[in-house]
Amino acid sequence: MFDIDWRGLIVPLAYVVVLGGTFMTFSTIYRKRKATQSANLAPWFGPHLQRNIYLSLLHMDPESGSEKPPKVPDSVIRAALLRRAVEDIHRIIQIRTAKASCSSLLQRGSVGDDLWQRFQRAEKEMEEELRDVVMEANALAPNWGQIIFQSANEIAANTVLRERLDEIQAQTEQEKQWWEKRRTSIQADFMKELEDESEKSQAKVGSEDEPVLVDTNTPSATPSGVSKKKKGKK
Amino acid sequence: MSTDYAYDEEGYLWPFFVFTLALIVTIPLTFTLVNKSRDPSAAFKRVQTHYKHTHTELVDTLRKQEKRKDRKIWLALLVVGGWAVMGYMLYLINTTEAPTHKLWNPYDILKISETATEKQIKSHYKKLSLKFHPDKAKPDLSKNETIDDLNARYVEISKAYQALTDEEVRNNYIQYGNPDGKQGYSINIALPKIIVSDGNGKYVVLLYSVLFGVLLPYLVGSWWYGTLRRSKEGALMESANRLFREYKEGIDEGGVIAALSTGQEYEELLKGDKADTGLAKIESRLLAEGKLSPVAGGLSVKDKERLQDLESGPQRKALALLWAYLGRIELDDAALNKAKFEVAPIAQSLNKSFTAIALAYMNTAPLLASYYASQLLIQALPPKASPLLQLPYFGPKVVKAIEGDSRVHTTVQSFMDRPDSKRRSLAVGKGLLTEDQYKEAVGVAKQLPYLRVAKAYFKVTGERYIIPSSLVTLVVKGRFVPPGSESVPAVEELDLEDVDPAEDDLDAILGRKAKQQVGKDEKGRPIMAAVESDPIFPPLAHAPYLARDHSPRWHVFLTDSKQGRVAVPPFTFAQFDRPVFEADGKTPTFAMQTLKAQFQAPPQAGHYTFVMHVVCDSYVGFDTKMEVTLIVEEASKAEEMTDEEEISEPEEDSIAGIMNAAKGGAPPTKVVKKRKEKDEEDSDEESGTEEEEDDTSDTNTDTEAED
Repeated sequence: MFDIDWRGLIVPLAYVVVLGGTFMTFSTIYRKRKATQSANLAPWFGPHLQRNIYLSLLHMDPESGSEKPPKVPDSVIRAALLRRAVEDIHRIIQIRTAKASCSSLLQRGSVGDDLWQRFQRAEKEMEEELRDVVMEANALAPNWGQIIFQSANEIAANTVLRERLDEIQAQTEQEKQWWEKRRTSIQADFMKELEDESEKSQAKVGSEDEPVLVDTNTPSATPSGVSKKKKGKK
Repeated sequence: MSTDYAYDEEGYLWPFFVFTLALIVTIPLTFTLVNKSRDPSAAFKRVQTHYKHTHTELVDTLRKQEKRKDRKIWLALLVVGGWAVMGYMLYLINTTEAPTHKLWNPYDILKISETATEKQIKSHYKKLSLKFHPDKAKPDLSKNETIDDLNARYVEISKAYQALTDEEVRNNYIQYGNPDGKQGYSINIALPKIIVSDGNGKYVVLLYSVLFGVLLPYLVGSWWYGTLRRSKEGALMESANRLFREYKEGIDEGGVIAALSTGQEYEELLKGDKADTGLAKIESRLLAEGKLSPVAGGLSVKDKERLQDLESGPQRKALALLWAYLGRIELDDAALNKAKFEVAPIAQSLNKSFTAIALAYMNTAPLLASYYASQLLIQALPPKASPLLQLPYFGPKVVKAIEGDSRVHTTVQSFMDRPDSKRRSLAVGKGLLTEDQYKEAVGVAKQLPYLRVAKAYFKVTGERYIIPSSLVTLVVKGRFVPPGSESVPAVEELDLEDVDPAEDDLDAILGRKAKQQVGKDEKGRPIMAAVESDPIFPPLAHAPYLARDHSPRWHVFLTDSKQGRVAVPPFTFAQFDRPVFEADGKTPTFAMQTLKAQFQAPPQAGHYTFVMHVVCDSYVGFDTKMEVTLIVEEASKAEEMTDEEEISEPEEDSIAGIMNAAKGGAPPTKVVKKRKEKDEEDSDEESGTEEEEDDTSDTNTDTEAED
């Protein structure tokens, strides 16, 4: 019925095959490359020290000689878990504040795509981490999972506050020294002025030396003079 | 009647085609080339000074290198090639003779004048047919004629005769230019015949596939990956990502400098060997005891820790070099000194990216830190250093002599505000400045563009009240008053007003023509005059250490001081509508500049107090910080106003006026008065937001004190 000219069809068929093959290889190679690239992205956060401590406390290897692993007191494990939760709070806060700005920056093209990928992965990891902590807490003490993050939050806020306080406190010594130095110099200046005055008043008794007095005051290059001048301007 | 497509066999068409193509490509390219090769910074004015520090030449060569980098050789080659092609095509067009298609003209064939009458034609035809009829004429052998030629000639002659006498043939001739009726026409493709001739086909296909299979994907790919490689601010994408990671809520200027050192650009600059060489030397010099600050580099304890905590490598070296640059530390090594001046412009460009990131978080402190870092990088000053160091020849000794051991730095303005004799006695002396150096420094200080804000207020164009969610304009009026300028004229009240363009003044509304207020007529209405104004740029930043030319910018933004957040993101001003300096580039004009920023009013009525920051990105201590209050009225109040206005509008004799009177409404005149009273009240309220000029500068010094 139909005479198909197979030989004539070879060329178009070959064309289609070559075209399809090229696309296939391109897409597989591209996808593979993308996958390895995103797998090799550096994690958003560094190693989770507190979690590592907690897990190693939980799974202590038995010491050589003894059969049983050493018994870790419950309070220590709980404290370790709380520390872990505090670190999680820090990270959660960081992620929450960064999320809106990161996405807006990505839209504007101010940061790269891989940053966003890293960010999203960190977010997902944090979610799992939180769930894990809640489960662990519930296992250690019933219903602790519901309040562990509340207390962790308090602890985190307190540490931040205390750090800032310490920072301010650290400056006191320096300030004190500077002020001592300043006070002595001001004192010396005043003493000098007083002496000058008394000398002058002795030298010219009764004469109107008010303008001279003003003169001695103004051109002095002492810091007190400078600050006075400034204040006067205000 | 066939339509043929013929290639250009005679080769007279395709030069036109190629010429046009080359023209389309070459003209824009030439334009860009000419625009680029003109030095953009030559158009800017500069601060006039003869000041040279020990490394001025090095900085100058680096600046020139950067400009050379901008030039593109391929562009020049392309333009030259384009013009050459166009020239050759013109030559071809001129030399190749186009085949002439003669028009068929019966008069020419009959050799008769066009004015001949029908009688004359007939008699002439008879004469001709006697002479040329194939039966009569004999082929002229000397002219190589045959019988056919004779036949053809006779047919032509009879056709021509018919064309002039026979009605139908004549019509054909008039319509189609030929007595036989419509002729077939041909379309020529303006491509040379070589392209399609046998044997060349494969080369053409090869060229085609190279163009579309290789060149096009390559160009598209390089463009696409080029855009992916760099962020919108021009930093490498990886650097931008790292800067985002480095952002912290309470970051200070030192922190910003440390963050900038993470840039990938430094890894390229300090490749391989360069990453470590001389690092120990730089650090020992940085951390030596300084004259003004505990360490020579001006690093705080935190900054020092940050530097020492880094692993040695490009980042650590970049940070050390940056601090060496900021502290103006002599490194006694040609390569290190060069690197020192190279890292700063990179940091300056990275800082743009950091500013964008800080802006995305909308926190005030990091944004300000970023702007301050820009000032420091341009002026080569460590954080919390005295602004006086910006003046030429001012070294640590001079600053110490001026400031004493006060903890509050003297700004350039407050130093220059002192009487000349006092400044001189402080700065000139043994081991300090010489008389000439002092004059030079004062001369530079008197050219620095310090924007002194005279008034800042909010308004909505064409409205009297600011209602919720309306588009508010923040109007900042200020003058460039260089520090220490004498006989500053008083601010004219007229300059402080911002008058809306009249409703019918489309030019002004669309911003087509700048209009300037020249005065007021007797009724108090402003007289406006069109002014030819080009945007005016302030002189390039006086930055003897920065290896780039930088045009200063001013950022105006509003912050909420209680929450420490940016309320209205920055508007950046790099050009102004009125001249900053007179033609000599030295004498300030004291012209009132207007900066306008538009934003959306809050959705609720009330009084909103913002802190307005005006930050100059190039000079330290030239910032203004003041409180402004935005009064947002209820929408109903504004409606009331419009109602009243509508009532007051109608004339008494108009229908609306009569209706108004019938309703028992107040006579229009009274309402107008009331409105005026309200107006005054309003302006009183507004005056709460404005501050006197002196107050402003005080706020400024207060800001300094806080810092």
